[in-house]
Parts: sequence; C-alpha cells; structure tokens
Amino acid sequence: MMHIYKIDGNTLQVVCCPPEDVRKGDYLLVNDAATKRGLIAQVVNTGYANIPGILEDILREPSTDQVMGEDLDPLEMKTYVNMIKDAKSFTCKIRSCVVNEMLDDDISWVPSRSTSRVEKLSDEKLIKMAGVGKYHSISVGITKGGAGVSIDLASIDGKLNIITGKKETGKSHLSKLLVLGLISRRGICVVFDVNGEYTNLGYTSEGKKGPFYDKIIVLSPGENFKVTLKYAGLNVLLRTMISVLDLPATSAWEFRRIWDYLEKSNMLSLGKLGGAIQSVKNNYVQDALLRRYESLVSTGFFTDYAEEANTLENVLKKVKMGGALIFNLQNLPPTFRRIIVEFLLNKFSQLLGRWVVRAVFLFAEEAHLYLRETYWDDVITRMRHLGVFTTFVTNQPDSIPEGVYRQADNIFLFNFTNENDLDIVSRATRVDVETVRVIARELPPHHCLMLGKAVENFPLIVKVNPLNAKTMGETRMFFANL
Amino acid sequence: MEIADLSYTSPKDFMTLGCGSLKNIVDQSFRPRHVNLLELEIEDLDYDREIKANIADNKRLETVGLHPIVDDSPVFGIDTSSIELGETKDGILCAVRGSIVWRYDNGHQYTRYGPFIFHITESNKRVLYNKLRQAYFGSRDEVSAPSLWWMAGRIRNVLERWLQKLICHSCRDSLLLWDGSLTAWTFDSPVSVMSEMLHVARNRGNITLAFSKKTKLYVADRRIADLIDDRSVPCLLKIDDAIHLQYGSSLCFFGRVYAAKLAPGCFSFRLDIDREVPEEEGIHAVERLIGNDLVIESYPETLRLAHITTRFSASEVIGMQRYIAENYGVRIVGRPDVRQVLFGPYAGASTQNLEEKWTYDAYL
Repeated sequence: MMHIYKIDGNTLQVVCCPPEDVRKGDYLLVNDAATKRGLIAQVVNTGYANIPGILEDILREPSTDQVMGEDLDPLEMKTYVNMIKDAKSFTCKIRSCVVNEMLDDDISWVPSRSTSRVEKLSDEKLIKMAGVGKYHSISVGITKGGAGVSIDLASIDGKLNIITGKKETGKSHLSKLLVLGLISRRGICVVFDVNGEYTNLGYTSEGKKGPFYDKIIVLSPGENFKVTLKYAGLNVLLRTMISVLDLPATSAWEFRRIWDYLEKSNMLSLGKLGGAIQSVKNNYVQDALLRRYESLVSTGFFTDYAEEANTLENVLKKVKMGGALIFNLQNLPPTFRRIIVEFLLNKFSQLLGRWVVRAVFLFAEEAHLYLRETYWDDVITRMRHLGVFTTFVTNQPDSIPEGVYRQADNIFLFNFTNENDLDIVSRATRVDVETVRVIARELPPHHCLMLGKAVENFPLIVKVNPLNAKTMGETRMFFANL
Repeated sequence: MEIADLSYTSPKDFMTLGCGSLKNIVDQSFRPRHVNLLELEIEDLDYDREIKANIADNKRLETVGLHPIVDDSPVFGIDTSSIELGETKDGILCAVRGSIVWRYDNGHQYTRYGPFIFHITESNKRVLYNKLRQAYFGSRDEVSAPSLWWMAGRIRNVLERWLQKLICHSCRDSLLLWDGSLTAWTFDSPVSVMSEMLHVARNRGNITLAFSKKTKLYVADRRIADLIDDRSVPCLLKIDDAIHLQYGSSLCFFGRVYAAKLAPGCFSFRLDIDREVPEEEGIHAVERLIGNDLVIESYPETLRLAHITTRFSASEVIGMQRYIAENYGVRIVGRPDVRQVLFGPYAGASTQNLEEKWTYDAYL
C-alpha cells in the first residue's frame, strides 16, 4: 500500500508499507478521486522509509544476534514489525497529469494526501496513455515490465539524437537497430563508421546475407570510393583545405585562381593542378599550396580516372528506396578522416540544397574524432534545416558541446559510472539531474534510459532488442587463436 | 535444568484477556502514541519503586570481598516491559512483554513472551486486573484496580511474577536473577506470592538474586559507589541493617540487602539475596555469578540481555499500532498535542515525564 508522504516542487515522496516491488524508473499513478485528477510520477530513487528508532534497533541487534532464542508471539507481531522495518520510500518526479484518462500538462495542483490512491502504473498503460510509438514506428526494445517500446518515426525525423554511455553498454547496438529500422521504413542513412562496426550490417549473425544486404553500401574512401576534382568542386575542396589543412587566405586566393584557370582550360586534373602549383612564383604560396596538395593526393580519395571515380548521386541512387551508406573510416589517418567527413558534409549539403535527396539520417560515431569544433553548430542548425538529421554516438559525453545536448530532441542514455560523465550529462539534458544521476548509474548493459520526444518526454528504461545482424567490429585480438 | 519446558508454557490468559479487551474499542478509533524520531527511550511505563537510602555514616558498613568461582552454574535472568500504544475514547492501549535469558554452552539463549496487547478502560480495568491476579497469583480476594495509567505497569508486573514463578518451578541448582528487588508491596508483589516463589526456588536448590537499578544509595550524602575503591572490587557492602532501619516498618524485605560493586567502574547496584538462604551461601552465589557470567559495570550480562530482549523499539510500537488498526478495524485519528499547540517550539520534547504528560489529560 502506497501513500503520499510529501510533495516539494515536482518531487513527490511516497511511502510504501507493506513494501511492493517498485523499482527505479517505474511509474506511479496518484489518483485523486475527489478532483478526478491524477498525477503520473516516475520513481527516480528508492530507499527505506525513515522509521523512528530504526537506528536503535540496528544497533541493538548485534547484542542479541549472538543470543539464540525463541519468540512465543501469539499475535504474530513479528511480521508486522518486519513490515514496518521494511517500509520503503520512493522519491518520484512528477511527469504529467491525467484528467479523464487524457494527459494534461497542468501539474500545479496538489492531490489529497489522505484520500489519494497511489498505485503502480503499468508500462503498457503508460505507453498507451502517452502515445509512445503510436503511429509509424520502429521497435527498439522492451521495458522492465515487458511492455514493447517502439518509437515514432516522427520523433526522430528532423530531430537531433544523442546516444551516449560508457564502453560496451550497447550504444552502437542501438544505433545499428535504428539504422536498420529506418532502412525498413525506406529511410536513407549515412554512417561515419570510425571502427568498422557497421560494415557487416548486411549480414546476419550467422554470417549469411541478411534482408538488408543489398541496401547496405559500404564505401571505403580511397578504395572503392574515389571522386574526381571536378565532382568535388572548388568550393568544397577549398573549404576542406582551409578548415582541415589550415590553408592561409592568400594561398587560398591563389588556389582559386589556379583552379579557375584549369577549369576554363578544361585541364582540371590532379597532375595539372600539381604542375600549376609548382609554377606559382611566390615561394611561400607555392610551398603552402604544394604541401596541402600533397596531403590531398596522398589520401587516394581523388582520382583523374573517370572509371574508378564515383559520385554521391550514384550511390544514393542505390539506396533510393531506403538503405545505408556506410563510410568506413577505420584505419584512416586523422587528417584524411577529417578531409573525408568535411567533403561529405559539404557535398550532402549541396545535394540536399538541390533536392537530389530529400533528407538523410546521419549517424556519427565518436564525432569528436573528425568533426572540427566550429562544425557542431552547423550540423545541428543549418544542416538540420537542409535535411541532415544527426545521431551522435559517443562514450565521451564531454566531447559533445553542452549546447548540442540542449538542442537534442532525444537522448538515449546507457550506463555511466564515472561521476564526471554523469555530471556532464545530467547538467546538459533537459530532464532533472536526479533522474539521470541515479538511474543512469544503475542501468545494466543493453538497457538505456530514453529521454525526449521519442518517449513523449516520459523517461523510460528500455532493454534494447537483440539484432539479427553481424554487429561486432573487426578488432584484432592477440589471443584470437586460443 | 529443565529449561526446555519454558517454550511449552505460555501465559494464555494474557492472550485471551488482551484480545478480549481489544474487541471492545468503542467508536472504532484510536489515537496512536507519537513515536518521536529523536526519542530513543520510548519505554515509559516503568513503575519500579525507588528507594533512596541515605546512611548516616559508613562505620558500621561491612565490606565482603568476592572471589569468582567457575563451576558452570546455570544463570537465568528475567525482565519484562510495558508500553503505551495510544489512547481510545474510553481508555488506553498498551502492550507488555517478558523475557527469560539463560547462559547456555558459553552463550546465551532466550525465550520471549509476547507482546500482549490490552485495551484498558475504566469499565474493564477491575475485571482485567483481578482475573490476571487470580490466574497468576492464585489470589482469590478481589482488589480495586489502580488508576488507568498505572494499569499497564501492573499487568507487566503480573507477567513478571508469572515468569519468575515459572523459573522457580522449572530450574534446579541455578542462579535466578530478577530485575528489581525482593521487597513485597501491597498489590503487585503480594507477600504470599513472593514468599511462595522464593520457597519453591530454595527447595529446588536455586538462589534468587535481585538487582535494582532504581535504588539510590548514599552514605553521608556520598554515592556509595564512590566509597568503594576499585582495588577492592568485586565486593559487597552490607547495608541490610541500615535499610531495615529506614524502611523496615513500611516494607517487607525478603532479601538481604547489599550494595554490589562486581566490576571496576562507576556503578554499583542494590543487590537483594534471598534472606532465607544462609548468608555465606548467598555470598557464595554471588561469587558463582561473577565466575560464570560476564559482568560489565557491575551488572550481569544475562540480566542485561533479558532487558534488551524485552524492551520495545519504536518500530515495534508502530507495528503494534498497525496490527490493532488492521485486525480490529480501528481507525487511527490524530489529536493535536496540547503542549505543541500551546507552547509551539517551547514545548520541549524530552521534558514530558509521566506526570507532566498526564496532568492535562481528560482521563485523569
């Protein structure tokens, strides 16, 4: 039996005696029959009720522990006393109000302490009431209570998502689940795969071709994905050289002049570009351009041969009815990685601007490894409006600027034990600090706390569905043969 | 030692009379006693009468040195407690419990009886008290019951005497430790009951020793403990004659009275040894006690454990209040605390002793 103990702000304290199986993350419904209203509150912390004299009991017990004895207790009072000692206290956060079975945002009222009934709200009922995954949705997992959780496509379409948690808690697993879910709904995904984890997503866990085998296009820059200079275009290339390779403004001006000349002469090729740079009279400019040119050439990403060159338009055609372009950035030097990402983001912006493609879902694993600081704002504002809907996946929450968290529409939070990490996430997310700090610390592997629009702002602990796909990255093992 | 019999004997009348009294709660409501978080000492119905003995000079006081004797003598300790649980429209709700602890195989064992809950009203207190007296004292004469507020203590006393009687009849060649004294009072410790119990105990080779925490012993206005040098402990100080001189006309002493300092420290206790036992044998019994039981701060561990096991804790009080509410369909109603209402923060939490608490109550 549960009773309201006190309400302070949006914090509700409930006392439960005899104790019921209510856990962190569960929802309670406080029904006030007199006002025909109810409060939905989530349990964020559990503990024992503050029973007077319990400390005395505990301190007294060791002296009687060594004493064997028998209780002739005809009223069986022991069960009552144990029940009192085990009485629990739940700290809850008020999430919403219910009026006539409909959700209401007005939580400014206080239910009656003496007549309100407090009961556990089943996950099924909450999900139904909140309308989570009501329409076109992707199934992501189940709650602790066994209720299936799906998220509406609308809640991730056009939205910014963050998947974060410590290593090996299941971040990439959820990310892959979302990718496959979006593909099944004809979504187009672009994945920056720094660990080569997504490259086998087309295969089942047994290593056979999976249902999305044809829709997973793995592109390894410099190997099966090269572009011509003409396709890259001056603007994209110049921006890349300036931002990634720190090309000075004077040299950039000279590079533009050379490019224009070669383009007009129909001589735009790597060889001619190199020759033109060699002929620059100012030694400083020549040297600066030459070093950047060599960096670009060394990536192997640019080619003069049309037959080995590719275009994003071409690969996008293959996933027109849904699919994923996996850009395998594994084993690439940091500079090369940044050149590729910069190139791709600029190019996608262009394509989206020209409506070549309607929108793409970008999955950026450990984005801090390849995304320069000034780009974060661009990704979450300008590019989002163009149609790049990003999901950041990271195990270093401090690598994502605080502003990005605040802009995030959905956060999928996996286990964190590090105080600093919890601090950063709890400060930045829009949900209360206690929910994040207490719940995230105790999440088991493959369980995540879903926050945001995907769960209609009712934080839910979800066990992520298993995936019938080859999901592991190809990590080289020393003892692989043992 | 026939201690195994203890668990088969239960004070059935406590159970039946207690449950019977609970069925008569009028208007089905009660006001539970407030259990204060800071109020660790919640056991309040302790009516052990206090004796203040101020002996004029110590010249006549004889110190008896003690030498521990280890002979595996069985040691039994008995204690009981009572507590107020709340008030009803007609009276009070209270609970009593008793415990017997004995040394066994270098450890301790206990049998605990209760709690037994009573609803005592002006209309049932006389019947209740006399029925218990009849059942456990074998007393046929009907006496008037005390004030409502002293009833819990009287019921506890009946339970304590019953447990003492049980032990006297069950044990052989043992040391029986009672909490309190071997002094007979008018109602709760009738001379006949005390006399019979001690007689049975003696016949079975037991020696009864009673430790009193309440008696305050002074010699020429100095605490008696201060007079006994730690170097001479363990020892007894014979104060029997002095106490007799002071209280002999009003009280019946079944015990020879000593001040006992059994271990170094700042405490000494009044110790009564069955008067009918030869003096040497009584002192020998104390030597067996300190040889076979742990003695800390002059108090035997067996009796300390008896006290601990019988004492009610705050959570037990709340548990019993819940039991009453659930099993007798009684509604719990809050009634404002007069002191808190009148004096607010100046009411004080620990200033409410028994008398103060009751002076404003309508039942008196």
